[in-house]
Amino acid sequence: MPNLKELKNRISSVKSTRKITSAMKMVAASKLRRAQELAESSRVYADSLSFILSSLAGNTKNSPDLPEILTGRENSKISLLIINSSDRGLCGGFNSNLFRNAKNWISEQQEKGKSVKIITVGKKASSFYKKTDLDVIANFDDLNSNNKQLQVSEEIKNKIMELFENNEIDEVSILFNKFVSVITQEPTYQSLIPLSKEEEDEEVTDKSNAVFEFEPDKNELLEYLVPRNFLTQIYRSVLESSASEHAARMTSMDNATRNAGDMIDGLTLTYNRTRQAFITKELIEIISGAEAV
Amino acid sequence: MINLKVVSPQKVIFEKEVEMAVLPGAEGDFAAMPNHSPFISSLRPGQMVIMSANKVDESFFVSGGLVMLKEKVCEVLVDQIESLSDVNNSNFQQSKTFQELEGNETALVTFEQVVNNPPYK
Repeated sequence: MPNLKELKNRISSVKSTRKITSAMKMVAASKLRRAQELAESSRVYADSLSFILSSLAGNTKNSPDLPEILTGRENSKISLLIINSSDRGLCGGFNSNLFRNAKNWISEQQEKGKSVKIITVGKKASSFYKKTDLDVIANFDDLNSNNKQLQVSEEIKNKIMELFENNEIDEVSILFNKFVSVITQEPTYQSLIPLSKEEEDEEVTDKSNAVFEFEPDKNELLEYLVPRNFLTQIYRSVLESSASEHAARMTSMDNATRNAGDMIDGLTLTYNRTRQAFITKELIEIISGAEAV
Repeated sequence: MINLKVVSPQKVIFEKEVEMAVLPGAEGDFAAMPNHSPFISSLRPGQMVIMSANKVDESFFVSGGLVMLKEKVCEVLVDQIESLSDVNNSNFQQSKTFQELEGNETALVTFEQVVNNPPYK
């Protein structure tokens, strides 16, 4: 028969766990709202920029002098993957999904004969990839807790520009959890070098081709625009990933709170039954004792 | 009137109808007015002003960016922007832009010039 004291302790410990998880859920919900607002307000800039870029790239589509950084190198050998993880745990399958996905992608690239380098964002990714034998070039940690997203995006951008110019990488992709809804987040790849296809939306470019004048000339503008575009794409992925993280944490903490509630119900039932059984047992002992006299 | 929309990577800074906006284009200042021919240009660090009736209404420092000008819309994508009414010589070193531009000498020099002696007054 289970010990009453033990049961009582377990119930109170599950109760305090429930308190923690439900508090974490509330915090995640409010952070999610902020992260979504941030992602929303940065969208205007990104959209305008990609519109300008597509009208520019569309305009110069047939000319052979587009910079390599836009079109990618012909014989690409080394791919760089930027992985956006979270800094903290307790967010369900958020990170493990991402890493599983990245593993598949990396082995795909290796089958194609390319070697893979990695830049990690977030503590979880840096500690995970430290244990693997993959080539991790740089880690960027702790960007969401002190609003350094833009600053860090800038650093990442500078890093990849430098690496590309030194011929150390030929391709760049970003992997991040795309925020689909509060319950679904989807690991998504976006190619930075070469510029991903969706940027060159055919219709938009055709319409805008005829009209815009450019100053200074297109190539000089591209020189300014390409790094800007990297920055906004990286920044956007970082923000999206942080919104996904909070959403994932919110759902998993909600589940945890509910599970704790179920557990408390079960334990309380056993506790009451056991207590009743003890009382009955004592009564029987007293009665049979009195009868024997 | 032309719709002037100023956007930074983080957010829309403001959006309003103006008579004329003068912007520091990469190859010289230009004025955005309604029915300007469609035009895309990069910006150099300098002063951006909003004017009405030949007077300066508002004045800003921009550290660089892009501008897309259409018939009735002028979209300015700025890197950093600061209203010059908030900055004067005494708090110049504490201003937001000054801190963000640290290390970027050319932009800082222009910033100081614009604060002390703006080309448009």
